[in-house]
Amino acid sequence: MDIRRISTNSWWNKKKNWILFVFFVFLLFVRFSKGSLYKDFYYVISKPFWPGQFQREILIQSFDHERLIKLRQLEKDNERLRRILSLQRSSETDVISATVISRKTGSWWRQVILNKGKKDGVEIGSYVIGPGGLLGRVNNTSLLTSSVRLLTSPESKVGVWIDRTQSHGLLVGSGSDYPKLIFYEKDVQIKKGDFVLSSPASTLLPPNIPIGVIKSIDNDSKSKKIANVFLLGKPQAIDWVQILKVEI
Amino acid sequence: MLNIFKKKLSLISFSLIPLLYFWDPSWVTFLGIQPYWPIFWLLPWSILYGSINGFIVGLFLGLTLDSLTIESTFTQIPGLLLCGIWFGKLGSCNNIFIAHFRYGLICSIGSFLCNSIVFSQIFIKNFSDKNLFIYYPSFRNVFAELFITGFLAPLFCSCLFNLFKREKENKKII
Repeated sequence: MDIRRISTNSWWNKKKNWILFVFFVFLLFVRFSKGSLYKDFYYVISKPFWPGQFQREILIQSFDHERLIKLRQLEKDNERLRRILSLQRSSETDVISATVISRKTGSWWRQVILNKGKKDGVEIGSYVIGPGGLLGRVNNTSLLTSSVRLLTSPESKVGVWIDRTQSHGLLVGSGSDYPKLIFYEKDVQIKKGDFVLSSPASTLLPPNIPIGVIKSIDNDSKSKKIANVFLLGKPQAIDWVQILKVEI
Repeated sequence: MLNIFKKKLSLISFSLIPLLYFWDPSWVTFLGIQPYWPIFWLLPWSILYGSINGFIVGLFLGLTLDSLTIESTFTQIPGLLLCGIWFGKLGSCNNIFIAHFRYGLICSIGSFLCNSIVFSQIFIKNFSDKNLFIYYPSFRNVFAELFITGFLAPLFCSCLFNLFKREKENKKII
């Protein structure tokens, strides 16, 4: 009788290898879904620890201050626009209030995770403001959460302007708490304390959202002017934010 | 329940890393920078299970952490792979004082390696912008993380090393 021996030494006969393989495939799935499973799981387990309602009052107070600054900007903008025949369409926005459930504000990875996701109508590219001003833009959404890339992230680049001199520049995150504002002309007239707002020329953001104040100016570069910007919105401390859709 | 916990401690503690990453406790910081948490897990595990397993787990850790960050243009995988291989080549030390000091030093070097690789990716990606000098403040991140990681490593690594060692003696998982 012919007896065939089945080899048990091959790698596919080892349970351990299959477990490893399945685990690897699972991690690949998580990687390409940008951690949606983890984020939704974190949403569920962190729910009891979300900030309480009293924070809402602080938020409303801060928003009042912010609105005053915005109002002044809108008046100026209105005057300027009256002189222009072809007006840019103003953005009508839907506001979604959200809580910060996780934040990474140090080192390279600068992001916050909010408790509103696809289910609540959050879209990639929406911008996020907190007390003080702009915090960043939504870069990724899961069913229950959304991840926001902060202005301080090395990947963040936003078009801004100084309203006083109407100089346009690029706000670039540098992995520190103070993003850099780059002007591609050397003779731009800026000074410490100038307000930095989102640029009317930007295609990613609505115009004149308060962003920060110029903290210091580097004059080392020959062809550009670079300034350090002190951000008005503090992602380290903010617990409530608003997500706004962009319509440009 | 306790038995399952003891047997699957590696897996359970591995799955806690993403939660720790999201939690990001702000009271463990130096200059606003957190320690590089995955190194604390990777070092004792790789010392016990060797280079090849260290390489595989480094890959798994890198994949997990990359999936949690929104920055898709730079990855943590190469740094963790190299650390996994290197840590696997190290043996354990019987002298408790030297072992503690060793954990601190190795984790500092590992953190420096991982952060330098990430920094170099940012540097290369933005090379054409000619604005590289704006990333100089990021050196602070590298050295702050190196310090805080080295400072806390003896505490976390020795605890995890003892737990993993006990688990390995009970049953080999991987």
